[in-house]
Amino acid sequence: MTAMLVGPAPYIYVCTRMRVRKSKLIPRDEYLRMLNMGLPEITRFIEETEYKTEIDELGTSFKGMDLIEIGLSWNLAKEYQRILDITPGFLKEFTTAYLRRWDIQNVLTIIRGKMQGMSQGKIKEVLIPAGELDRVFLDRLLTEDTPERIAEALKGQKIYPILARDLPSALADGSLARLENELYKQFYSDLLVDARSGVKGGPQFEEFIKLDIDITNIKSLFRLRGDNLQEEAGDMMIPGATFSVDELQRLNSMENQNEFIDSIKNKIKLRPLLEIIDEFREKQSVRQIEVALIRVQLRQMERMAKIYPFSIHPILSYLEMKKYEVFNLRALARGKESNLESESIKGYLVM
Amino acid sequence: MADAVMTVEMIQASQAGMKALGAGIAVGLTGIGTGIAEMGIGSAAVGATAENKDIFGLVLLLTVIPETIVIFGLVVGLLLLF
Repeated sequence: MTAMLVGPAPYIYVCTRMRVRKSKLIPRDEYLRMLNMGLPEITRFIEETEYKTEIDELGTSFKGMDLIEIGLSWNLAKEYQRILDITPGFLKEFTTAYLRRWDIQNVLTIIRGKMQGMSQGKIKEVLIPAGELDRVFLDRLLTEDTPERIAEALKGQKIYPILARDLPSALADGSLARLENELYKQFYSDLLVDARSGVKGGPQFEEFIKLDIDITNIKSLFRLRGDNLQEEAGDMMIPGATFSVDELQRLNSMENQNEFIDSIKNKIKLRPLLEIIDEFREKQSVRQIEVALIRVQLRQMERMAKIYPFSIHPILSYLEMKKYEVFNLRALARGKESNLESESIKGYLVM
Repeated sequence: MADAVMTVEMIQASQAGMKALGAGIAVGLTGIGTGIAEMGIGSAAVGATAENKDIFGLVLLLTVIPETIVIFGLVVGLLLLF
């Protein structure tokens, strides 16, 4: 209704803001420069960029690596919430749905922390309240004593049915891996339902979800090959895009690398992905493959943002790029703290 | 059936009316065109300025470029009337 009354102006407004913000992200050259810096210099550099407010705010309570970690997480969460505030109409619904991914991550972090007996403060440091569950709600979850009580507190939330069903068996096994897979499967299936609900802009959102599922599945396949795991393949795969779960399991059972890559190539149509997959015929580390796939995904998202300039794509493209900027800065700082070689740190950066 | 009688005065008055109508349409339609064009540019300009205040002058200039359309309409309107 709002869209009918005010026309495309709010969409143009928010998509332009996203484009300007994207242009402010740290460029590749700066990362290369930062690889030659020490941790104090990196902290100073981060202070001079968009993260200044958070670093200044937390400067009195934290130092060194903790300051960077928490500052970056806070900035990411605030940025995502601010974007939700300015996003209009159907774009807001899609963005909110997409950001629910962080709810899964936060809830699992809290449950894992509680299972390992970590303090509330320590768990809180690693939470990124960028999803629907805000800081206040997460604080309330942190005060709960047991994982079962945390699940009860989430009654009424989208993730509750899966948590209620799978948490007891996960706690009995002592591993949340299966529960995590189920939550993400449900998350993607919900996203597809939202995209196909007939709302304007849904087909573009579906295009992104399918790309995300495909890249995630291909990453999982390479990871499973790297670890020589066969049995968990079906659990990890997400249905709904190019590959069915059966096809993915069949791909995972292939011994020959060339045959495996040819079979993937037969199914996918995306040209940049086809080109990059050919490069994986030579032996590469799982991390290198993952970074290359993420780069393809980001490039494809940018391309889609140009094809549909006033759709969900410019927003999602910025959200993803911002996420990887934070991951890059964290990897840089962590690598420098652990005295890793610049070349090894470079392998972890998405730039 | 009575024949319709058109006097010279009536024809002149009709011509003046048509000119005024044409001038009105010229200004009105170009005004709508300008509005539509400025809606897109204006919202993008406000979005860009919200992120970077330094470009206000530049985006203001870009926003008023479609004003030329309505000025053409106005010129055509004036030429019709005078």
